[in-house]
Amino acid sequence: MFKEIFRFELRQQLRSPLFWLIAFFLGGVAFAAACSDSIQIGGGVGNVHRNAPYVVVSMLGAFSMLGMFLIPVFVAGAALRDFTLRSDGLLLATPVSRPAYLGGRFVAGWLTSVLILVAVALGYWLGSLMPWLDAARLGPTPWSAYGWAMLVVVLPNLFFLSALIFLLATSTRSMLGAYVGVIGFFVLWSVARASLGGGNIDHQDLGALMDTFGRGAFELATRYWTPDDRNTRVPELTGLMLGNRALWMAIAVALLTLAIKTFNPARSGWRVRRRHQQTAPVAPAATATPALAVPRVALGAGAGTRWVQFRKQAWFDMRFVLGGTAFLAMLAFGLLNLGGAFAFSGQMFGTTVWPVTHQMAQIMAGSYTWLLVLVVGFYAGELVWRERDANVSGVVDAFPTPDWIPLLSKVCALALVVVAFFLAGSLVAIGNQLLHGYTHIEPLLYLKYAGLGLLGFMTLAILAVVLQVLANSKFAGYGLLLAYLIVSIALSQFHLDDNLYRYAGAPGTPYSDMNGFGSFWVGRLWFAAYWYALAAALLVLAALYWVRGSVSGWKARGRIARARFSAPAAALLAVFLLAFVGLGAFNYHNTHGLYRYTTHDQDQQQAANYEQDYRKYKDLPQPRITDVKVDVAIHPESRRIDVDGHYTLVNKQAEPVDRLLVQLPQLSARDTKYELDFPAHTASIADAAQGFYLYKLATPLAPGASMEFGFKLTGGFPGFANEATGTQLVHNGTFINNFAFPHFCYDENRQLTDLNDRRKYGLGEVPRMAKRDDAAAHANNLISCDADWVHFDATLSTSKDQIALAPGYLQKEWTEGDRRYFHYVQDTPILDFFSFQSARYEVARDQWQDVKLEVYHDAKHPYNIERMLKAMKLSLDYYTKNFGPFQFRQLRILEFPDYSSFAQSFANTIPFSESIGFIADLRKASDIDYVTYVTAHEIGHQWWAHQAIGANVQGVTMLDESLAQYSALMVMKHLYGPTKMRKFLKYELDRYLRGRGGERIEELPLALVENQQYIHYAKGSVIFYALQDYIGEDKVNAALRAWLDKVKFQQPPYTDTRELIAELRRVAGPEYQNLITDFFDKITLYDSRMVKATAKKRADGKYEVTMQVHAAKFHADGKGKQTPATFDIPVEIGVFAKAADGEEENQKPLYLAKQRVADGDSSITVVVDGEPYQAGIDPFNELVDRVSSDNRARVTIK
Amino acid sequence: MLSIKQLSKTYPNGVRALNGVTLEIPNGMFGLLGPNGAGKSTLMRTIATLQEPDTGSITLGDIDVLADKPAARRVLGYLPQEFGIYPKVTAEAMLDHFAVLKGVTARGERRELVDALLKQVNLWDARKQKLGGFSGGMRQRFGIAQALIGAPKLIIVDEPTAGLDPEERQRFLNLLAEIGEKVVVILSTHIVEDVTELCPRMAIIAKGEVRLSGEPREAIRQLEGRVWRRAVDKAALAGYQNHMTVLSTRLSGGATLIHVLADSRPEEGFEAIAPDLEDVYFGQLRHAASSKAA
Repeated sequence: MFKEIFRFELRQQLRSPLFWLIAFFLGGVAFAAACSDSIQIGGGVGNVHRNAPYVVVSMLGAFSMLGMFLIPVFVAGAALRDFTLRSDGLLLATPVSRPAYLGGRFVAGWLTSVLILVAVALGYWLGSLMPWLDAARLGPTPWSAYGWAMLVVVLPNLFFLSALIFLLATSTRSMLGAYVGVIGFFVLWSVARASLGGGNIDHQDLGALMDTFGRGAFELATRYWTPDDRNTRVPELTGLMLGNRALWMAIAVALLTLAIKTFNPARSGWRVRRRHQQTAPVAPAATATPALAVPRVALGAGAGTRWVQFRKQAWFDMRFVLGGTAFLAMLAFGLLNLGGAFAFSGQMFGTTVWPVTHQMAQIMAGSYTWLLVLVVGFYAGELVWRERDANVSGVVDAFPTPDWIPLLSKVCALALVVVAFFLAGSLVAIGNQLLHGYTHIEPLLYLKYAGLGLLGFMTLAILAVVLQVLANSKFAGYGLLLAYLIVSIALSQFHLDDNLYRYAGAPGTPYSDMNGFGSFWVGRLWFAAYWYALAAALLVLAALYWVRGSVSGWKARGRIARARFSAPAAALLAVFLLAFVGLGAFNYHNTHGLYRYTTHDQDQQQAANYEQDYRKYKDLPQPRITDVKVDVAIHPESRRIDVDGHYTLVNKQAEPVDRLLVQLPQLSARDTKYELDFPAHTASIADAAQGFYLYKLATPLAPGASMEFGFKLTGGFPGFANEATGTQLVHNGTFINNFAFPHFCYDENRQLTDLNDRRKYGLGEVPRMAKRDDAAAHANNLISCDADWVHFDATLSTSKDQIALAPGYLQKEWTEGDRRYFHYVQDTPILDFFSFQSARYEVARDQWQDVKLEVYHDAKHPYNIERMLKAMKLSLDYYTKNFGPFQFRQLRILEFPDYSSFAQSFANTIPFSESIGFIADLRKASDIDYVTYVTAHEIGHQWWAHQAIGANVQGVTMLDESLAQYSALMVMKHLYGPTKMRKFLKYELDRYLRGRGGERIEELPLALVENQQYIHYAKGSVIFYALQDYIGEDKVNAALRAWLDKVKFQQPPYTDTRELIAELRRVAGPEYQNLITDFFDKITLYDSRMVKATAKKRADGKYEVTMQVHAAKFHADGKGKQTPATFDIPVEIGVFAKAADGEEENQKPLYLAKQRVADGDSSITVVVDGEPYQAGIDPFNELVDRVSSDNRARVTIK
Repeated sequence: MLSIKQLSKTYPNGVRALNGVTLEIPNGMFGLLGPNGAGKSTLMRTIATLQEPDTGSITLGDIDVLADKPAARRVLGYLPQEFGIYPKVTAEAMLDHFAVLKGVTARGERRELVDALLKQVNLWDARKQKLGGFSGGMRQRFGIAQALIGAPKLIIVDEPTAGLDPEERQRFLNLLAEIGEKVVVILSTHIVEDVTELCPRMAIIAKGEVRLSGEPREAIRQLEGRVWRRAVDKAALAGYQNHMTVLSTRLSGGATLIHVLADSRPEEGFEAIAPDLEDVYFGQLRHAASSKAA
């Protein structure tokens, strides 16, 4: 019987056009992903093959998640077929067994969804065969990966989803139940995902297990995979991966069993039991009805009547939505999701931030993004079909109510759905704030975010309603909406992002506590007006096509629409369309007229042209800047700036300079103007589009001679651009730097860096950083291509209520009219690298020796000011004691809006984003104090960059970033103790290992790093911390001091990593020379494992601990291919007692020493005084180890 | 006066639902009799502005129903066949909401109207009950109450008595009879007694065409002396059906009784009976069938 039911059901499914439509569509998407660069799924980028096993598994995994949306169609459809067709009565009468009936339907539905994924795999495979693909980017067809993905990912994922939805569908007996299930499931899954990706690596195992799709486990297993791994391996089906699959398969089987056990065809579905009786009351006696006078009433038709009708109908529809259990379930799911997002958000190194209102509101908006799309789309269908689904349409359609009243009522009800979500979410957010003891609640800001949410979702809601009306079939309406969503995602994939043609598109509204929404809401609202004009026109159209009674067919509907197209309707449509066009023209004027709008292709073409035309001038001999004198007028209210600048240029070459190359920055606002003023010249290249100018000087500049170069810059950010633009020049919290000034060299940063983009434009290999032994490249330092050390003098002006700051000592401050002036002079030469900031600041002051310490911050963020001042003092203490004197008499931290999230070190001036430390919540002592850490890092740059700067060659960022990391780690180590460092270094190690997995070009050893952040920050931390632990902190500091003394304020040629490493080798002693080679000159990976640890209590009360350890070492090449090497360094062996609080970081070491261990497996025995709890090899994860969790093991006591 | 002229409608699947239907319907109850699938509902829905005919015209007094639907809807009360309800809403609230949609927006006026209508259809005591708990008869009476909002000039009730028990059906028809004095009430049904008991005028419709239109009494009178009855053997039934116009066959007390239409006694054993509307109805249906075949 099972077979017949199964066959029948499968035939039904495969006969449905929907199946073929979805199969062809998704197969097509997969095909395009495999053979074009427009769609990226699975991560086949850089050195990873397009059809690498990793990519195939990842891609099929991603598509199997689409199962969430496919399965209700197939499985719920199969489960409900007899009930929707009302053939359940017939079914009741047949002797088919329950398991056979349900099993047949279930397996057929499940298999149908699997077939869709087979189509996807087929599409991808075909795509990878296309002849135009670059053979270098393809590997052999990974049949095993296809098989693995199907068996381990696709089949179980779809099985679980099918079982869940089958249970929901059979028990609720409704499609709605199934959809609610999908949404609920989506939410739970998101929570599990958030717990994995939230930045706290301690939750990741649980998160991986909880992720139904096994994606978390897959990511965890492959997170450190190098391109070589990705091209050759599939994950092993062990550990978390196996656990995850087994867990969810077991749950799926349980769900399915439950579905079959509880299935009762005679029941009509779940119903909430009500207290009042549902039985029909006895009708009143059938007496002759007294002839009653029904009062005569006039039927109104005026505006007043319409208003009341609209209000009542809207309220009636709203109650329908809000009163439904489905809505409450969705809202509950949404809030649960939100709670999950709150719990795991804003963490940095596992430390949370204060729940400031705008972050809460942004998290809420973010967590609702897809959820509300689903909810709004779903209710659009339910509402438009409400009367017809309830079969009330026959009555109400014959009422003299105008067509637009029900239409607008539906739209209103949808608005209420959105509002309900945002208001409930805001309450949860406020609860979360209070829970964390945060009381600065900004109700108005929540309302603004609710307003923005409403603005965004209502354009979608209107579209969904219009599509439902036009399609005149609920499923076709959903289909059209899905098609719209897919197209809009595809548009982003194709970089088609002009808000003028992206329905509902608008610039973003970034928010910061300092600057609020600034003026970014202006463009948002104009675009909202533009799209709402179209939406209104669409609503008029929908009113014309609103179906009353039983009308079908476009011809008949068109006839009715024409009949309804009265003068008022035509006028309304005309007004909306005119408004749409007019607003479009206005927005075009802003986004294309006031600003330069360029497409992604144009940008790339421009970058390619720039390189092709001008790279030949890269090494053109140029004079160098020696003096900078600027007058910067900041106008925060109007977001304008006027710069009157002056450079002194000196020819430091041996030859005369007869040509001056001037590179002007390209700002997106068109009315940016530069005026240049320098000795007589003629232009030989004047490329305004690229900002590239080449002038022939009438009198060549002789060697050693100098010339004056004046420039005026006026510009600003008027109106609005296609994206939120100009976050650097705002009402409160301006932060601009001298990259907005003219420079005198070819700008390498403009070049295309992606290998595939470069191929497309015929640009050849990716330009790499100059080699370390390239002598010519030692002429420039990391920061400047046209300056060494310069004198700096700046006069700043801003509005009266703001403070403007630049590097240098304040000479004079005065007010003139409504402007406030500041004159700063730096009396010693500094790098050609300055910031200009202006905001309404509070100032906290302190003193360290003769250095003035200041923190300029927003009044809303008092939390960590003391901590910063303390960190400044600790840093200055440690650095002056160990590296050398501090070269300035002041040190300032300046808050800037969280449009960006970084801190940066200029001479005696450190801009610090409000999000990166000002709102860190450090009340819990065990949390990582990244405020002190970041502060110490930035102050470290006052030595490592602002005293010693390397040549712009390979390895240069090790000299500033890695050393700043090291300096900060030392400050932290002395403040918090070495055992606390493990927690922090674990994050750094993780970041490095992940980073190398995502490398697109080539991983390099630390000493040759090419500005790769995962190397110079993350690996730098790990390596330098281990180095000081191995050879001693004093020795490392001595080497740094020696190197610094040698290269401090050096003129070209600049230093490189060879000189620093030579100093390190000098202090390290012979036994550590190999270690330095492994750490700096090679990519070295260690594999330390505590295989087993046992202990015996001896007669004297001591314990003898025997440890089976495994130690191995590998060297890796730039693509991650590993070759074994011999483990030849001493390694830390530790035995630990149990901590009173159970925390690993508080365990007391009973034994801790570095000792030599044999390469491979060996056994070590030590004797300790107390009872051992854990034993470890490299227990603090000092070495780069891809599996850091197996370094410790519990000690078994015999 | 409702005047329907040459109304035709063919569905996309080729079914000809209405074929040149022409009817003049004065004030009072008008019965529209026809078997399932005759086109009654299509005709009702078309008059109720819920469907478009291919050709033809409908006028109600001065109103061109097809061209000016909003005007027609203002004077229309419609109780569709098998209409649904929102089960969680009370009768009073629902009727109130319907009154708003019809245009009764003044609160006090609406309250009085709703109360009066509920009393008239005898649902006053059940006004606070949810519609989901209503019996079929109560539901139909509620349907009539909503159709009466705003004193319509034209009331259309489509198959209202199907599925009602005899008592409920009687109560419902009484209600209709009361209303049907001053306005046009079209009652579509396939139950002959409904028309017999209530309607001064009627039409019989079959296969989309009007077979007969006029007063039931007049139609019955025309059959006087032409309807014959006899009890026959079951085996011989087919023979009778071949030779004679058999109006109806029914089992009665173990015997098969047939009614036959003939100008004179068809053969021995037939007895003359007084015709009723049912004989008229079946006569028209047989006629329609044979004329189609010819």
